[in-house]
Amino acid sequence: MKILVPLKRVADPDNANKIKIPAGGATIDTTGLEWKPNPFDEYALEAALRLTENGATPKTRGGEVIVVTFGPKECETTLRAALATGADRAIRVDAKDDELDGSIVAKALRAIVDKEKPDAVVMGKQAVDGDSNQIGQMLAQHLGWPQATFAATIEEEDGALLVGREVDGGVITLRVKLPALVTVDLRIVAPTSVYSKQTKRDFKYNDGVRFAALPAIMAAKKKPLAELKLAELVSDTALKVQYSRFEAPPSRKAGIKVKDVAELVTRLKNEAKVI
Amino acid sequence: MRFALSDEQVQAAASLRGLLARDFPATALRARWDGAPDDGALWSSLCEMGLPSMLVPEAHGGLGGDELDLVSLLEECGRAAVPGPIVETCWVAPRSLSAARLGALAAGSLRVACGDGEAPLVADAGEADVLLLCRGDEAFALDRARVELSARQPSVDGARALFEVRWDPRDGEAICSADELRARMASGLAAVLLGLSRRMLDMTSEYVQVRRQFGVPVGSFQAVKHPLATALVRLSVARPVLLRAAYSLARRDPARARHASMAKALAAESALLSARVALQAHGAIGYSFEHDLHLFMKRAWALSAAFGGPLEHRAKIAAHLFDPPPTENP
Repeated sequence: MKILVPLKRVADPDNANKIKIPAGGATIDTTGLEWKPNPFDEYALEAALRLTENGATPKTRGGEVIVVTFGPKECETTLRAALATGADRAIRVDAKDDELDGSIVAKALRAIVDKEKPDAVVMGKQAVDGDSNQIGQMLAQHLGWPQATFAATIEEEDGALLVGREVDGGVITLRVKLPALVTVDLRIVAPTSVYSKQTKRDFKYNDGVRFAALPAIMAAKKKPLAELKLAELVSDTALKVQYSRFEAPPSRKAGIKVKDVAELVTRLKNEAKVI
Repeated sequence: MRFALSDEQVQAAASLRGLLARDFPATALRARWDGAPDDGALWSSLCEMGLPSMLVPEAHGGLGGDELDLVSLLEECGRAAVPGPIVETCWVAPRSLSAARLGALAAGSLRVACGDGEAPLVADAGEADVLLLCRGDEAFALDRARVELSARQPSVDGARALFEVRWDPRDGEAICSADELRARMASGLAAVLLGLSRRMLDMTSEYVQVRRQFGVPVGSFQAVKHPLATALVRLSVARPVLLRAAYSLARRDPARARHASMAKALAAESALLSARVALQAHGAIGYSFEHDLHLFMKRAWALSAAFGGPLEHRAKIAAHLFDPPPTENP
């Protein structure tokens, strides 16, 4: 199976206090931020690797995983990390961060899918910076492919994927015919969440994503990494989403203790105005 | 000239940190204190990550890297207080053993312990296949079967196994000068100590932000935050010195022994200061066995003294500077 995995770099959520908004709020000052792969995209890569191997012999590849990202040259660090983890090749679409929005990225990904012809696109359900949660759904619409979003489990069948989605009150299982698009949620990296056809159903992976070994990190330097121009993929590069202003969330006030339930209800009603 | 580690070296360290956080949390270290046997899984993971093969030449099945590729991985092992002869096997042995043994070393099937000839005890000798031991001015390699080990001896660090070793140099193979072996061990232990130092500071920084007194986190008091800042400065000063030592070893700089002493002296001082500040900032809970701090503090105490404490290494540096060896031009 050939799988395309879009990756996005995001500001390290553990250092969110470093995010600065200059006066006027027209933009975000990214100076000094540390970048990390979007966690949900890392989970998508792990799912794609599991789908293209026999879990018992992971060094023997049973398919191809292509990772793609959008951004400046520095984003290649994210791609090299993905290659070290096990992806087979990478594509960077050269673009500035402020030239991109969900619509443009979805259209550009469609052009890449048309060229690469993967059997599936597996991607994170959302990026943890914008939390938009829309590119997967838009891309499936552009491609006319079946989609299964927020996947917690994936099982490969002949010509299809069996996808489990956690919903209120239980799990819905969908069968999507390939080619298909799947967006993944947190639990996709649990030990028994993803099985390729080659992996026996009693096999258990380590919990979480895999870690790149030093030999793989060195070998990743030799794996192919192609560069494409955004204008080659999308004719209309006008932003559909424009940010008018940024502001930091108000700092939270300290909580108070109330004497009894009656006072709590009064305060919720008159001060918080939530009931 | 580039003074920073490469992206690949940084990524490898981050990767190992993630693996150790998952596979060897403090609960696993605590279990070793309580006598849990080593099932070999952690060593297998470290082999897969490439630690024992890093310094072994490619012709012998290794990765052909150098000390700068490995040094930050040893720091990560220190941060997790990984028990066992990691420095000895991964950092010292590839540059000390004969070519015939390097294949097994790269494959992870050979483990090595080191004794400096001055301290009576050798750490982890019980699980070593080969021992590198100093006598006089020379260092010798001996198979485990050629030495006699005592029963395990007590250590301040409950996860560190110490043994008395009886041996005869005639049963071994002369490999290098004793000073060379000691310098390599000292520099490798310096990396581990800086990892421990970082771990204790991280634990303490986290603790003083949640432990409250007088309605505010105790970390907001100058009496708490200033010593922590001082300890961080000491750590930050020691790290470039460690990288310098790794660079010197990789290029067989004539002054590498002095650079190794500088690294060990500063790293040990950093770890000892971090341990003292961490203990103070944690208050009474820091003294208890119930809290994880002591697991890292006691490793730091043990390794600070191993293969020369800070004073001994400062004396060596002075000797090198005031009376340099003929091969070194400081």
